[in-house]
Amino acid sequence: MIALRRLLETEWGGLALIFGLGGGAAGLLSASFFTEFNIYVMLRSGCVGILVAFAQMIVLAVGQMNLAVGALGGLVAVLFGAMLEVLDLPLPVAIALALLIGVAGGLFNGVLTAGTGIGSFIVTLASGSMFTGINVGISQSKPFHGIPAEFVAFGDARWSFMPALLWPSLIVAPLLAIFLYRLTPGRRLLAVGGNAHAAELSGISPGAMVILAHAISGGLAGLAAVLAVAQLGAAQPEIGATWLLISFAGPIIGGASLNGGRISILGAMFAVLVIALIENLLVIVMVDPYWVQFTLGALLLTTVGLNQWRATHAARA
Amino acid sequence: MKVCIDSVSKMFQNVRALDVVSVEFAAGEIHSLVGENGAGKSTLVRIITGVHRPDSGVVKLDGNPVRFGSPRDALAAGIGAVHQERNLIPHFSVGENILLERLPTGNGFVDYKAIDARASEMLDILDPGIDVRSDVSSMSVAHMQLIEIAKALSLNARALLFDEPTDSITKHGAAALVKVLRRLSSAGVAIVFVSHKLDEVLVFSDRVSVLRGGRVVASNEPIAEMSRPRLVSLMIGREERIAQIGHGCGVIGDVALELTSVATSYGHRGIDLTLRKTEVLGLYGLVGAGRTEHARAIVGVGKIISGEVVVRGRRVTVHNPYEALARHRIGYVSEDRKDEGLILSHGVRSNIAMTVWRAIASMFKLLNRTTEATVANSYVRKLAIRISSLDQMVSTLSGGNQQKVSIAKWLAAATDTLILDEPTVGIDIKTKVELHELIDELARQDQTDLLQLERGCLA
Repeated sequence: MIALRRLLETEWGGLALIFGLGGGAAGLLSASFFTEFNIYVMLRSGCVGILVAFAQMIVLAVGQMNLAVGALGGLVAVLFGAMLEVLDLPLPVAIALALLIGVAGGLFNGVLTAGTGIGSFIVTLASGSMFTGINVGISQSKPFHGIPAEFVAFGDARWSFMPALLWPSLIVAPLLAIFLYRLTPGRRLLAVGGNAHAAELSGISPGAMVILAHAISGGLAGLAAVLAVAQLGAAQPEIGATWLLISFAGPIIGGASLNGGRISILGAMFAVLVIALIENLLVIVMVDPYWVQFTLGALLLTTVGLNQWRATHAARA
Repeated sequence: MKVCIDSVSKMFQNVRALDVVSVEFAAGEIHSLVGENGAGKSTLVRIITGVHRPDSGVVKLDGNPVRFGSPRDALAAGIGAVHQERNLIPHFSVGENILLERLPTGNGFVDYKAIDARASEMLDILDPGIDVRSDVSSMSVAHMQLIEIAKALSLNARALLFDEPTDSITKHGAAALVKVLRRLSSAGVAIVFVSHKLDEVLVFSDRVSVLRGGRVVASNEPIAEMSRPRLVSLMIGREERIAQIGHGCGVIGDVALELTSVATSYGHRGIDLTLRKTEVLGLYGLVGAGRTEHARAIVGVGKIISGEVVVRGRRVTVHNPYEALARHRIGYVSEDRKDEGLILSHGVRSNIAMTVWRAIASMFKLLNRTTEATVANSYVRKLAIRISSLDQMVSTLSGGNQQKVSIAKWLAAATDTLILDEPTVGIDIKTKVELHELIDELARQDQTDLLQLERGCLA
């Protein structure tokens, strides 16, 4: 009982519980839920989302937002496709360059925000439109299909119900945790998010931390884009177009503060998985596909509400 | 380290905050800087610590002119400070806040054990009761202030500036602080102490400088040659006046507000209180005693969980401040005027008229600027608020005038009962006297009953 209570007091505990109970309920509802393949499909649908959520979360941590996460992802995806198909670069080189492009896009956002004092909302709203513009200009809205077969196979690979695509998230999550909780730059980044003025008075440069957060965000969006290409088997220009919702929903449901300085890595992960579970359930119980979007939004509100309720009650208890 | 301020001037939007100020803070001395609100003390502190840059003049450290681009440069030069407003990182531990910009590491990783050890070393001197591992968000204001002081002390700075450091800490904490400062100053640290508690200043400084309206009116005076009346007259430019208030009027009015064995969600138990019509009732307590929370429970911000609240003969439950105002005619002037009392980015006009918008709106629910102006103007005159125009942004007013605006807003609402939470907090002596007279006048002439909350003075 005490263990359960402890679990519920953490940001991610409630979500983990919802994920578990929801899964159990789904299993009762439908025999096809607990098949190895369905679990794999569900987890695989969350792999890109987890990284997208992380990309937003790191910017939320410093007290800003990044509306260009999806647009940057789309740009990285088509450039990655072009590098493989048109330039015929070896796969590891293309992946490294793709991540670097992501970091560069993030740096662009960060330097503009820190340097001009224009809010990150406007900067990333505008830069997002620019990224999408470059994406469309290069791809002419057509996907690049020349993706190496072994990379596409990686996108489909699984070990029992564990998709290979989940590995990058499972590696990134602890790295992020070490960065934010055990390394000085990470602590400074969170400090700036918590109270930028106080951090500055302590001799920490808020601008540098803002740039760092955006650069990491860009890198993570790039990684998410590369995985999305593996998942879809083609570098489609539409990649990233639907990331905005999940990018905020993941960290916020997971317990991050929109005011900055507070995030939960496990919370964001479980939040994305809960959303993946919900989407999966909607398919299983055959909700009219036209209403999936609505149902998802309503469920997001419910989840955030429940989590808020949990947080206030945990604080009181 | 000797810190020398040489003919420094600073303007903020046409207001001369500092006007050719020259002072010298010698190594090994505790130097108090006093002055009314708006005299320029905090601006001077912010220039020395690199937050602001002077328009003209120079800051010299041991004779060498320096020009700081950011607080970081000042810290690197050995200047530490505790600023007036609280500057802690929420959700970070006490220890991490103290060592924020120089976290100890082992193999590149942040070493939390070392943080706790080093932070508690410093904090234990001031208050061993604070756990360095707890989250600062859960701390009281007094503890937060001690944490910031510990942070400044741990810098091993060669010059330390404190902007009103004892504002909310207990007498015990203040005494511990003074002891540490004495030790540091005998080790050659220059200590600058900004305070408006004159008794405190007289007791433990070596020298004092007085600022008035951005100018230095007394510079580097040895404390032995100072007295409280002399300091006051230097600060305000004339003798201190005592508020002309009569003592408790003879007529006892009807009961306006009565609490019987009230318990609140904040943890108050068994509170009995009777406020009569046209009287000013003072509620006194030290920091953390729960005065503010008590007032908030009455107006429905917090919850009253048991007991009885009777407003003018009727037993009531107040759910929120809107109900308190609209139904029970109780107003609450918050002690935190910047965050809760005023809309800083709006003009004087709308700040005052805000509580009566519903009442003065025309038949189509349209607000008329002239009506607003009439209401606002009458209170500006009555409270003698100094403004350049009705549309002057409230954020550009001095602390005293801001406080008057936040009171005017509630007077406009014509409440029967007004709860004033620390109405004179952060206000200079002259305005304080004016406010006390105003409060007295309100009770007598305007038939308002007042519950005034005051925090205990430490000096």
